[in-house]
This record gives sequence, structure tokens and C-alpha cells, in this order.
Amino acid sequence: MRNLFTFLTMNTFFNRRLRLPLLALSLALFGGCSDKALVEAPKSLAVETYYNTAAEIEAAVNAIYSPLRADNCLGGLYPAQHEAYTDYGYGRGSYAILSNFQGLDNTNITRVGQMWDLFYLAIRNANLVIRNAPNATSASTADKAKYVAEAKFLRALTYFYLIRNWGGVILRTEANMTEQNLKRTAADDVYALIVSDLKEAETALPDAPALVGRPSKWSAKAVLADVYFYRNQYAEARDKADEVMKSNKFSLVPVTVADDFAKLFGADVVTTPEEIFYLKYTRVNGQGFNLVMFAHNPAARLHGAGGFFAHYTDALTNNVYKNWDTNDLRKTYGWYKWNIGLGANSLLNKKFTDPAAPTGSAAANDYPLYRYADLLLLYAEAASRAGSGPTIAAMEALNQVHRRAYGKPANAPSAVDFKLADYNATTFVELVIRERGYETQYEGKRWPDLKRSGKFRELIKAGVGKDVADKHLLWPIPISELNFNTALDPTKDQNPGY
Amino acid sequence: MKQTVYRSLSVLLVALGIGASGYAQERRVAGKVTSGADNAPLVGVNVAVKGTPRGTTTDASGTYALSVPSADVTLVFSAVGYVRQEQAVGTRTTLDVTLAVEDRQLDEVVVVGYGTVKKSDLTGSLAQVKAKELNAFPVPNVLQALQGRAAGVQVVQNNGAPGANVSVRIRGTNSIQGSNEPLYVVDGFPTAGSNPTVLNNSDIESIEILKDASATAIYGSRGANGVVLITTKRGKAGRTNVDFETSFSQQTLRKKLELMNATEWATFYNEQAVNDKIAPYFTQDQINGFGAGYDWQDLIFQKAPMQNHALNISGGTEKTQFSVGGSIFKQDGIVIGSGYDRYSLRANVNTDISKKFSFNVGTTLTRINLDRRNSSAGNRGGSMIAAALSAYPIFTPYNDDGSYRILAAAIPWGSNVLVNPINFINEQTDQVRSNRGLANAALTFRPIPEIAIRISGGVENGDTRNDAYTTRNFVNSQGTASVSTDQQMSVLNENTVTFTKTLAQDHNISAVAGFTYQEFLNTSVSGSGVGFISDQSETHDLGAAITPGIPQSGYSKAVLESYLGRVNYSYKGKYLLTASFRADGSSRYSAGNKWGYFPSGALAWRVSEEGFMKKIPFISDLKVRVGYGETGSQAINPYATLNQLNSGKTVFGDAQYTTYAPGTRLPGNLKWETTAQTDVGLDASVWNNRVRVTADYYVKTTRDLLNTVQLPSSLGFTSTIQNIGSIQNKGFEFSVDANVLTGAFRWDVGGNIAFNRNRVLKLYNGQDVLGSAINITVTNDFINILREGQPVGAFYGFVEKGYNEQGKIVYEDLNADGAINIRDKTFIGDPNPDFIYGFNSTMSFKNFELTAFVQGSQGNDVFNLSSVGQTLDYGFGLNMPREVYLNHWTPTNTTAKYPVISRTTQTQISNRFVEDGSYLRLRTIQLGYNVPVKNLGIDWLRSAMVYVSGQNLLTLTRYSWWDPEINSYGGANSINQGIDHYSYPTAKTVTVGLRAGF
Repeated sequence: MRNLFTFLTMNTFFNRRLRLPLLALSLALFGGCSDKALVEAPKSLAVETYYNTAAEIEAAVNAIYSPLRADNCLGGLYPAQHEAYTDYGYGRGSYAILSNFQGLDNTNITRVGQMWDLFYLAIRNANLVIRNAPNATSASTADKAKYVAEAKFLRALTYFYLIRNWGGVILRTEANMTEQNLKRTAADDVYALIVSDLKEAETALPDAPALVGRPSKWSAKAVLADVYFYRNQYAEARDKADEVMKSNKFSLVPVTVADDFAKLFGADVVTTPEEIFYLKYTRVNGQGFNLVMFAHNPAARLHGAGGFFAHYTDALTNNVYKNWDTNDLRKTYGWYKWNIGLGANSLLNKKFTDPAAPTGSAAANDYPLYRYADLLLLYAEAASRAGSGPTIAAMEALNQVHRRAYGKPANAPSAVDFKLADYNATTFVELVIRERGYETQYEGKRWPDLKRSGKFRELIKAGVGKDVADKHLLWPIPISELNFNTALDPTKDQNPGY
Repeated sequence: MKQTVYRSLSVLLVALGIGASGYAQERRVAGKVTSGADNAPLVGVNVAVKGTPRGTTTDASGTYALSVPSADVTLVFSAVGYVRQEQAVGTRTTLDVTLAVEDRQLDEVVVVGYGTVKKSDLTGSLAQVKAKELNAFPVPNVLQALQGRAAGVQVVQNNGAPGANVSVRIRGTNSIQGSNEPLYVVDGFPTAGSNPTVLNNSDIESIEILKDASATAIYGSRGANGVVLITTKRGKAGRTNVDFETSFSQQTLRKKLELMNATEWATFYNEQAVNDKIAPYFTQDQINGFGAGYDWQDLIFQKAPMQNHALNISGGTEKTQFSVGGSIFKQDGIVIGSGYDRYSLRANVNTDISKKFSFNVGTTLTRINLDRRNSSAGNRGGSMIAAALSAYPIFTPYNDDGSYRILAAAIPWGSNVLVNPINFINEQTDQVRSNRGLANAALTFRPIPEIAIRISGGVENGDTRNDAYTTRNFVNSQGTASVSTDQQMSVLNENTVTFTKTLAQDHNISAVAGFTYQEFLNTSVSGSGVGFISDQSETHDLGAAITPGIPQSGYSKAVLESYLGRVNYSYKGKYLLTASFRADGSSRYSAGNKWGYFPSGALAWRVSEEGFMKKIPFISDLKVRVGYGETGSQAINPYATLNQLNSGKTVFGDAQYTTYAPGTRLPGNLKWETTAQTDVGLDASVWNNRVRVTADYYVKTTRDLLNTVQLPSSLGFTSTIQNIGSIQNKGFEFSVDANVLTGAFRWDVGGNIAFNRNRVLKLYNGQDVLGSAINITVTNDFINILREGQPVGAFYGFVEKGYNEQGKIVYEDLNADGAINIRDKTFIGDPNPDFIYGFNSTMSFKNFELTAFVQGSQGNDVFNLSSVGQTLDYGFGLNMPREVYLNHWTPTNTTAKYPVISRTTQTQISNRFVEDGSYLRLRTIQLGYNVPVKNLGIDWLRSAMVYVSGQNLLTLTRYSWWDPEINSYGGANSINQGIDHYSYPTAKTVTVGLRAGF
């Protein structure tokens, strides 16, 4: 070290008069050059030098999936929250209060806030790719376009979740992503961004995804169809769904007995022809589908790590379950009787099970966000509403799902088919909504569907006998936003009732 | 040499002279001089014939021999530090003398930063704790021995587990982001960690605590929270001393909580079923058959032994001194399965190479073995202590066939996370093995007596490995193993020049200047695996796991460069001035902000040296002092100002893929936090130093406080850090030491009391900073808050208003808007004490010694988070304190302590759970007997003392659970202070021991 050397050489001067000035001199010398030792050199990547190669951009795109798949977002809390707002079941424990449909209590408000934070983290990560990928120094134009399209797809999907649950939200794109204080945007403008992002994605995404779990152009079309459907633009929805159906890329997984549904929802399934866009999970701690813990009781051993049994239904008191045909294999596959101290007729859901899961966040089942059965049912209702009643194609689409549910081959007419002549425009729509309820149980899809159809009040009353308060329709904007975003007014900008 | 020759010549001359006049009267006197303190022989004592230049000095065995001219001669015995004695020789030829130790407290030297200073010349606020008090009772962490010994130093054990962390606060909390722990300097080496666990108490000679800025500013950027200087034992020239001590202790739980028995529990839950309109769970016959049931607390608590053994050998010659010490400390915890062992070896050598060069080297090697159990936190029975309190009393831990009872399945309506505590005891291990080393070497060159140039280098190294394994027998487990290791190294080079000179007899100048460089390097590696076919391999074959985890590793390095200088000037020992300056450059801060400058100055006036004061003999010493200084706090981690990307994993297909994204904290341009402190103090001693008093008043303001600024979460970045904020601590300290009785019955007392008022002055934009939300399912909310104008970590929650007609809790609607939400929260308590105090009394009579030490804290509140779930979470069959059964709401008892027993009962973070945590604790009481070895004729023993003592035998407090002295979420920079979340209780201990010197 230079300072040691100087001091040592100093010591050889036994001349007192020279010593102090030399000391001062060496100290002065050091003032100048010691700053180099203070520069930090971490062994990690920094934002300033990143987003340049295709591999780097791909890893950045991968980062959009993590917050969405997380336990506190779509991987657990989101579907768990929605499964307490259904006509076919109830919440238990801290989810019990939600089944009264009178809005959220503090514990659930905190949960909803955690979801908001993670949705916006996904949007930030998407915006980082959309902003930085075009400036990459060593990636090809084709790659850049591919990754930007994937980021836009995920951004649109995330905003679609936000807007359905919170209403008009804060719109952050790559253009304004560093601005702290932004107002709430009107719902129409948010939908405009969602649609434009999905339109770009449906052209630029590949025909088949590079990896299972990445979107293809058909995934983008399916989500776009759902967006039109949610906004009651039934003709556009029908046409978009039809494009996907006509591609012949997807088909329903055949089922003959109830247990065959494990071929769709089981933990060891990697992919099926029914998969349009799923969130993928695997049996590694932290990379599993957390929702599966919410379904089970530890003693049932249907989840290797126990279970919270946060949702249940009742064979005697729940009208949807009571009136459900016992020949429907989905009824047998989906529920099991278990005493949870709430009477002798309680049932828990077993659509997703993973007895080999080592921890609560390690169930290997995938979350089917969009599957072909969803698309067929969407087409059926959209076609009927866009026209003046059910069409042959609409009824056929409905029947394919219905046949599969009874263990019959989906593409051949069967004895259990619904007859077109038996239904008119109103009754057909009711039928499809009921079928969709049976098909999508425990997938977190029932409540948005009830809201979209406008029939939430009558169906909830019919199923569980409760009245829905207006406050229950939208979640509150969390304090983590209202308190720190000066463009928002905590009273005026909050959703009603909170 | 010259003198001895002169003396011999004069003796010869005198002898000749006497010889000429009649030498038959010349005779020889010889003898041994010993110290009154420990009967050790005294080397180098001056033995002179009074009135003549004749004399000699005692040799290495304390003996002297001298020729005296006649019988009417008096010999004068004198040595530094001892009371001078004169003895008339008379007709004796052998004269043994014992010299009493001089009570020169004021000329005692204390260690300050980069030097030593006489106590009488101190201009700053400093507290000293010596070896005897530090070693008074066995403790695993030397900081626990400091508790209550020094005014203004608050030591809190975060929980009672063996090896648990201890938090030290000197004059209050300064920082939100940064550590609030003081800087620990061991033999001049500033250590990197926040706990000097490397040392055993018996290795320590003294601890000096620097409290005010004029004393700590020399440590600049690390001195803002005070500095604790630890000096280990040194050898002294003379005979070699061997000191041995050993003690054995037994620890027991102070009290069990009173829970419901089986009959009460079943009746209680039947009531809950009725309230919730469910069929009762038990029939009356069943209830009658339950009896008292099983108390699960008996399963997890045990009486635990503790032992401490230490051996110290020290000695030396005029040129070389050494001190070597070894120790073994073993403690079992009162919760089964926890324990702490420490083995250490320390060596210290000091040698004068020549008249101008001296060299010093010291090393300490320590091995720590820590066994932990998942005992704290949790809810609904998910952790060991929570499970022991919540488990159903109608069941025993084992089924009839000997297997563990699975409590989560035992009753269908019960808690699904309740784990039989036997699982935690037998089927889970969590071990930490740590090797620590501290080595320091220094070369000092004194070209002229006034100048000393010191170059030193030192290394502090720590290697820690944590192995945690859960067996396949643990409920719902397939075998989980995880291993994580940490390597820390800190290298220090210090170069200082010290100049000391007295000019014209009245002006004393002492100055030091220097340059230091310190580097901190941390690396870590960890791995894990889930799913093992057999438990045999535990954590030693991670590759065999069915599902291996992803290994992790980390790296960080930080550098600190400093220039320092200090001048001490005193005029006639009456007027004292100290000025110091330090410039610190740290790699952690942004470019352009890396350097911080910390000046300080202090003045002191020894009033007692003034002429007019000498007329008041009652006051033996009086000094007033005032000081001001600025110190800094590094407060951030390395790389916090850089925009780094974090890696993660996501899944496609069935495989994992890497992700890269920034974290949720937006980095900012950061600079030093600076604390400015003004201290006014007074030191006085009266009645010939029999009573010594010190009082200080201080005001400490921290500015440029690093403050988390919350960002709207839609930004993706949820927070950033900026230097905007300020905190103030103001207080008063008072300590007194007195020799109440001297003589055959000696009684010394000492006491101290300190008041501190802490206020947050400024936060970013006036925004509150909330503590963490703690999720115990029945509530998921924050408890502590920082707000302008309030103390750090104040409790913030709802206020209860009683019950409604159904027996549910009703909260005050403070803003009268009809809704109960965050706007109805208010301040409900303060974990900071109004004052802390300690009192020590030592009585000795003949060979017996009785010591008692009392320590306490007044005005601190505790938030009893454990009782939130344990007394209000109905509907899951959890066992509860008996008072919930005896005192809850029914239609005929509407003013009960607890609400209606129903599973729909909800609760919030409110004033119900804030309790007064003030306490007064008899920390130790000890009766010792000094075996009179000399009288018994045992000459191979220099001294021996046997003692019996008790620690924590008596605690006076109103807190309803185990211990008010807890801090479950406490830590270096935690806002979440004063929370009890199933904290490991502190034990009471009885010790017997022996201290012997050879």
C-alpha cells in the first residue's frame, strides 16, 4: 500500500525537522488519488448496460410472468378470492365474509392490494421490454418484434384483469412509465390500449409458441375475443373466436370416466391440445400453483403439504350443486365429501390435486387461463347474442363441451345433446351461462362472467340466497396507491363503498 | 545504571565511613513486599532509608535486601499506585510489608478512540464498566453484562433464546434505514458486525462506552450511535498469574401461562358452537370424562443447565508481556432442543524490540455452535410456542400406538396449521456453526519520547454455516434440507502519529493524526432440496433430493477510507480543550457524495483545581464540560445506489427459465446521514472521592436521514430512498457511585438513571412510514408507525369502545364518518421507555461479599401480538388462557374482558393489546466467600472465591405474559419495536461457581 510505504520511508529519516512536513505532504497526496478505491464494482448486471442481446431481452420478457404467476396474484390469491364469489360454493375462514357479497373486510382489502402491486409490477416489466428492446444493439429486427409482441400481449392481459376488478385504472405505458403521479384513466381508453396491444400481438406472435406457456397468435386472438365478449361486442367476439376454432389447432381432451379429467387438470400433465394460454407451474418450491392449497383439507392428503380448505359447497343447501345432474362427470370429478365442522353435507373441490407436492407453493398443476372449452362456450353465447338466437354452429359448440362432460366423444352427436329447437334466444343464453358455470369451477372465471352477463344478482340469489351489494362489484384502490399518488383524490377516486 | 553505581558507591563510602567510626552497627535488613489487593509480590518497589539517598528496589519475587546504618532507621516503601508506607526498622532483620492499593480513581486512565486519557482530563461523556462487573454472572453475550451498568445505554435482549441477538441503543434511536447499533471496537479494531460474540466475558479488561459526539467523532462515519471500546486483558511485568474460573447454572422457566384445562376447554367450545348455531361438539358425558387433560407447556419447556469455564495466564518481564486465555461456555435452552456453545482462545503479546520500537500482536479464535428451534412467531399453532399454547388439552402428544398425534386432523373443525410440538422437538433441526477470528498486529516506533508512530493491520474473519433439516416424520413432510454459508472478512490498516508534550510545565499538548483503510467483503452460498428417501443423510447429500432447489450465491464488497486528527490541550490541568476532525470516504454512496466530514470540539473546566475551590475540602473534584460534534452513519448496503437487475425463475413447459428485472426499490442519489450532538456535563466527587457523580444533558439531531419514500405502487417501483428526514433525541443522564461504608464492613453502591425523549422531526413530504404488516390470519396489519412529531416506532391502531348487543367488539369512529377504516386509527402506545435505570450494591465483611444488581425500565409499552390470536381467534378449537373462559361476554355479563365466543368475532390491531411493559428486575444477587488462603497456609493458591448467585430471580412487572423484555421483530434498524409474538421467554437462573488465582 502506498501509504505504508511512505510512512516506512519516513521512518528512516531521523530528522525531526523533516518529519512533520513530509507527513503533511503524504496526506495531501492521498487526498487526490484514493477515490478510485471507493468505486463500486458489484458482480451483477445493471440496467444501464442490459437489453442488448436476444437472450437478455428474452430473460426480461420472462420477468413479466413472475409477478403474474406469484402466490399473491394469479397463482393463488386472485382465484381464491374469486372462488368465494360464486353461486356454486362458499368461502370459509377469512374468506367466509366474502360469501355475503357485501364488500371486503380489512384482511381481504390487504390481499387485493397485494394483487394490485403485482399486476403493476408485471406491467412495469412489460414496459421495460417495450421501451428498451427496439434499442437493442445486437438483436435482429425479427427477434425484437417477437419479444415486443409478447410483452404487449402480457400487458394487455394484465390490464384486462385490472379493469375487470377495479374499473378504470392508471394507464402506464412505455411512454409514461417513469412518471409518478398519474390520474385514473376512463375505462374506454384502457380498453383501447388493450385492444391495440392484442391486435399487434395477433399479427406478430408466432403460429406456435417457442415454449409451452408462451403465447401464440391464437392465444392473442382468444384473449381479444374475451375482451370483445366482456364489453358485450358480441359480433366481434363471435368472429374472433371463430378464427381460432377454424385454425384446427385446438381440440377438447377426450374423457370417458370422471377420473379422465385428470388428463386436463392433473399435476403431471405438461400440455394438452386444449391449452390456449396457461400459466405453467412445476413441482419446485416457489414455482408451484398455490391455489391448490386453498382447496384441500390436510387429512385428505390430496395436496402433499396440507391445505387451507378455504372454499366448500354443501350438497343440501347449495342450489346449484343440488340441481346439477349427477350424470355430469364434472360433478363427480370436481367435488369430494369432507367433514369440516360445518354440517354433514360439506364438499371440497378437487379439480386440482397434487399429492406429491412437497410444499404449499410446489403443486405442479397449471392454471388454465384460456382453454378451448372456454372458447367454444364463448362462441356459442356470442353467436346467439350477435344474431337473433342460437345458430346451428352455436349449438354445436355448446354440445361439444356438453358431450365431453358426459364422457361422450365431442365431435359426434350423442343422446345427451341439447336440441336447437328447444331453445330461444333468452333460454339459450341462460343455458350457456349455466354450462359455463359447471365447466369453469375453481378456475376463477365465474364472477367476471356473472358481472359481464348482468345476471349476477339473480344467479347469486338463486344459488346461495344472498343479495349482492353494489360495493361488492369493484375492489378498492389500495392505500399503497392512493396515499402516494398525488394525482388521485382519496375520496373521489376510490371505488364506491370504500 | 548510573544511579545504582552512585548508590553502591555511596553505600560503600558510608560503609567505609561507618566502618571508620564503628561499623559493627551496620546491619542487613531484608524482606518481601506484597500487594494489599491480591497478596501478589510487588516488583520494582522503592525501598529507601528515610533521610538518606540509600535505597534499593524489590526484585521479581518482591524481595529486597538492604544495609542500614543503625537501629533508629525508618524504611520508606513506595510504588506507583500504592499507598506509601514508612516502617521503623527497630531491631528486626526481616521486614515484610504489604502495600495498600491507592484509591486514585481520578488518575485512572481510560481508553478513548485512538489513545488513552486520564479520567481527570476527559472532556467528553464516557462510561466505564470494568472486568469485575462484566464477569459478575455468566452470560452468552458480553453485551448482556452491560445491561443497566451505564447511564443512557439501553440493552434489550430480543428474546430469551440462547445465542439470541441483543440490541443496544445509546441515547436513543437515530436512524430508520441504517443500523442503530453502536460501533464495537475490540482492541482498536472496529468490527464489522453488530455483536462482538467472538469474546468471552473473562477475556475483557474493561469496556468504555463513548456517548457524546466529541468522543465519538474520531470514529466519524460509524460513530453516530455511540462507540463501545472493548479492551482485552494484557499481561503485566512481574510474576506469571494463572486465573481460573468455573461456574455451573440451572435455568428454569419463570412461570407457565394459565391455560384452560380439558373440561373448561370443551365447555368453552360447546358455547362457541351454540353461539354459532351449530350442534355442540361434545356431549355432557364426554365433558365430564375429560378431567384436567394435558398441559402442553410441559412438553416443550425443561430445566436447562449452563456452564462456563475460563483459564487466563498472564505475565511478563519489563520487555515482554503476554496474556493468554481460553474459555468454554455451554448453554442449553429452556425450550427443548435449543442451545448455544462457545469455545474461544485468545492470546496477546506485547514486546519492546528496542528502546524505540515496540510490537504488539493479539489474536482471538472462537467457535460457536448454535441450535435453534422454530419456536417463535406463527399463528393458530404453527410454531412451537404457539402450538404448545394452542394444542387441545383433551389430547396427549402420542397416539395409543406410540406414533405422534396429528393435531391438524384430530378434530375436523380445528386449526389446519396446528402442529404437534413433538414434531418441532424431534423432527426438525436448525444448526448454526460459526468460526470467528480476530487478529491484530501493531508496530510502534518512538523516535523521540514525544512522538509515537503506529502502524497496525488486522483481520476479522467469520465463516458461518447453517444447516436446517426437517425429517420425513414431521407432519406433511417429505424431508427438507437446506444449507447456507456466509463468509465475511474485514481487513483494516491504520497508521497514526501521536505527539505528546508538556511545554513550560503548564501546557500539555497531545495530538494524533492518521489515515485508515478498511475493506469489508461478504460472500454467501446456499442450496436446498426437498424429498428424501431416507433421513440418514440429513443436509449432507443435497444432490439426492427428489426436487433439488436452485442454488444461490451472493457477493458484496465495501471500502472505507479515512483521515483523522485530534488535539488535546490542557492548561495546568484546569482548562481542557479537545478538537477532532475526521473525513470518511465510503464506497456505498453515490459518486460526488462519497466523502463526509465530521468535526467536533469540547471544553472542560476542572473547577476543583481553582484556588477558590481548594477552600472547599468537601468537594474533591468538580469538572464541567461542554462538547459539540458531528458524526455520521453509513446506513445503506453496498450497491444500494446502483440500478441492479435481480435474477429469478419462471416456468415454461415443465422446466425453469431465468428472468431478469429490477427490484421494487428505485435507487437514488444518496449521501451520509449526519448526527449533530451537543452535550453538557458535570463530573463531581465529594468527601475525598467517596461519592462520585456524573450528570449529562444532551441534544442529538440526525439530519439527511435516509428515509424510504413510498411511491405509488402502480409505478412498479413501490419505494425509493432519499435523504429527507430528521430525528431528535434529547435526554438527561445521571449516575452516582459511592463508598458508603469503608472499613471492616465495606459497602459500595452505584446507580444510574437516564431519560431520553425521541421525536421524529421531519419525514419526506410529511408522509408516514408504516411498520411491516404482520399476518396472523385473524389480522394482517401494521402495528408501528413513524410520523412527524411522534417517537420512533409508536403503536398505531384502533381504540375499542366496548361491545355491541351481540357481544362483538365496537371501535371508536374517531372521524365520525360512519365507517371504521384506517382514518380511525390513532396513537395507542409507545415502546420507548420514559427512563431506564440500574442500581448496584456490594457489601463485604471479613471474607464474605454480597452483591445485588437491579435493572429496570419504566414507561415502555409492549404490543402483545401473541394474545391477538391466542385470546380472540375462536372457532378453530385453539386452547386459550383461562381468563378468556372465566371472563367473556354473555348476555348476562356485558362488561367482560373478552367478547362473545363466536367464530365470527373479528378483531383489529387496537389498544386492547397494548400493555405496560415497565419492569424492575433483580438481575443478579450473589453471595461470595473469599477463602483465606494465606491464613490456611495454602501457598500454591493466590486467591480463591466460591459463590452462589441467582439471575432474574425477581421481576416486578404488570405485563401479563412471560416477559416484558422482548422485541420479537427488533433488530438493528427495525421500526417494529416492542412487539411480543410468541417470544422465547427469559429464564431465571441459579449459579454456583469458583474463581481461583494461582
